[in-house]
Amino acid sequence: MSVVRIEDLTVAYDDKPVLWDIDLEISSNSITAIVGPNGAGKSTLLKCILNFVKPLSGKVSFFDKPLKNSLDKIAYVPQHSSVNWDFPISVFDVVLMGRYSGIKLFKRINKEEKEKAMNALSEMNLLDLKDRQISELSGGQKQRVFIARALCKQADLLIMDEPLAGVDKTSEKIIMDKMKTLKEEGKTIICVHHDLNTLKQYFDHIVLINRIVVASGKIDEILTKENIEKAYSEVIYE
Amino acid sequence: MSNILFSYDFQVVALGTMILAMSSAVVGCFSVYKGQSLIGDAIGHSTFPGIILAFMFFQSKNPILLTIGAIISGGLAYKIIQLIESNSKIKLDAALAIVLTGFFGFGLALKSYIQGHPQYSNISQSGLKGYIFGVAAFITKADVLIIAIFSIFVLVLVFIFYEELVISTFDKNYAKTIGINNKIIDLILLIMMITLISLGLKSVGAILISSFLLIPCICANQYSKNIKNVLFISMFVGAISSFLGSYFSSAIKGFSTGPMIILFMCFFTIFSMLFGKYGIFKRFIKL
Repeated sequence: MSVVRIEDLTVAYDDKPVLWDIDLEISSNSITAIVGPNGAGKSTLLKCILNFVKPLSGKVSFFDKPLKNSLDKIAYVPQHSSVNWDFPISVFDVVLMGRYSGIKLFKRINKEEKEKAMNALSEMNLLDLKDRQISELSGGQKQRVFIARALCKQADLLIMDEPLAGVDKTSEKIIMDKMKTLKEEGKTIICVHHDLNTLKQYFDHIVLINRIVVASGKIDEILTKENIEKAYSEVIYE
Repeated sequence: MSNILFSYDFQVVALGTMILAMSSAVVGCFSVYKGQSLIGDAIGHSTFPGIILAFMFFQSKNPILLTIGAIISGGLAYKIIQLIESNSKIKLDAALAIVLTGFFGFGLALKSYIQGHPQYSNISQSGLKGYIFGVAAFITKADVLIIAIFSIFVLVLVFIFYEELVISTFDKNYAKTIGINNKIIDLILLIMMITLISLGLKSVGAILISSFLLIPCICANQYSKNIKNVLFISMFVGAISSFLGSYFSSAIKGFSTGPMIILFMCFFTIFSMLFGKYGIFKRFIKL
């Protein structure tokens, strides 16, 4: 079964095409890296399938349903630009936001939900920091908070935009160890990733993009010198 | 002192301004953290031409009619700010300045036009000027009731949409991924802001009303990094300033209530910025 199916997706910013005719399937229970040079459209691809950016054309489905019917099953960890750091909120409360998706009017957070938030905090090794205000944390710690928030949601699909960018070694290990356990639990993970050296260590599937999909599939078959060169050397579409 | 505390006039003014300050403080916190502090100010100023136009149109000073004029004019100003921001290269602060001064200037021009104009001479215009700076002393028991009803309405809205407001203010994109419609949340916040601004026009006036929204939040920010505490501290700051402002303007002849309240708010805020838990001196000590 495919968790994400993308058909004929084309995206442009101000008439400049960023992604061109993308067809892609992410299979269930995989851990997939999206790899490509700067400006290849990696983040745009994630933003577009999550409907932050409107595509010119194309169709995206999650778990064989449109996005709005699958929101509860998807957790997204953005590059943290949309966060208002001055907002007075503690680490614990940020993580607890992960529990709000299905909650309707007048239903308040109960003890069980709080326990789930505590578990997510402990998995990201953040229990000591739970009462801190979010802006007081280091870059790696902040990133772990947003991953903890995504974990707290207990989604089946985790989508992360460069979770390891600007993150220290300790945070990197905590994050990637957790990804491994999530995969073992049957979840699906998609990451934009920029470090070619750690690809084999962390991922089992890979999507090489540079405005078009250069190659995608199992990492052992796709991660060849030839494919990498193809993705990084040519500017595929001008 | 007790003479004033037990005077009926003082009690009405103090109660009215305290309730208004508390509900404004709560809504103001969300607009401050959304980076919309000055939008409240622009809307406040922009209500003035609406008041004068309503007066000209209905030939009446009925507060409800004037308030409707204020709401329409304030809402229109907001819409224009949005249009400028999304369709031109002009930045938000410049757009705010254009709309704020444009609307307010238009209001003043209308006001001087109708002054002495024969068509409007059969109704007294004396109270209209009060909407610029506000005349708290004219608050009646009925006004307090209206302030209370709408304040409860606003606070109930905040209670119902609390999580959505917090998440949308903290992280817009995340809000979207969990199915929160940011546009609706922004609209609710706008409705609450315009409601409170219109409620405060008579007592605080078009120019100063935005301080009721903004200043208590900035003061509270110096004591807590937890949104719930910030909201409660803001309410407290708003309430105590309103009480003291009303008291001193009753005690000392010649001091208007609205400006007096804002003076107290500013005093508490500057004091807190210096000596609060997250104030300048505490930071020096830490270093």
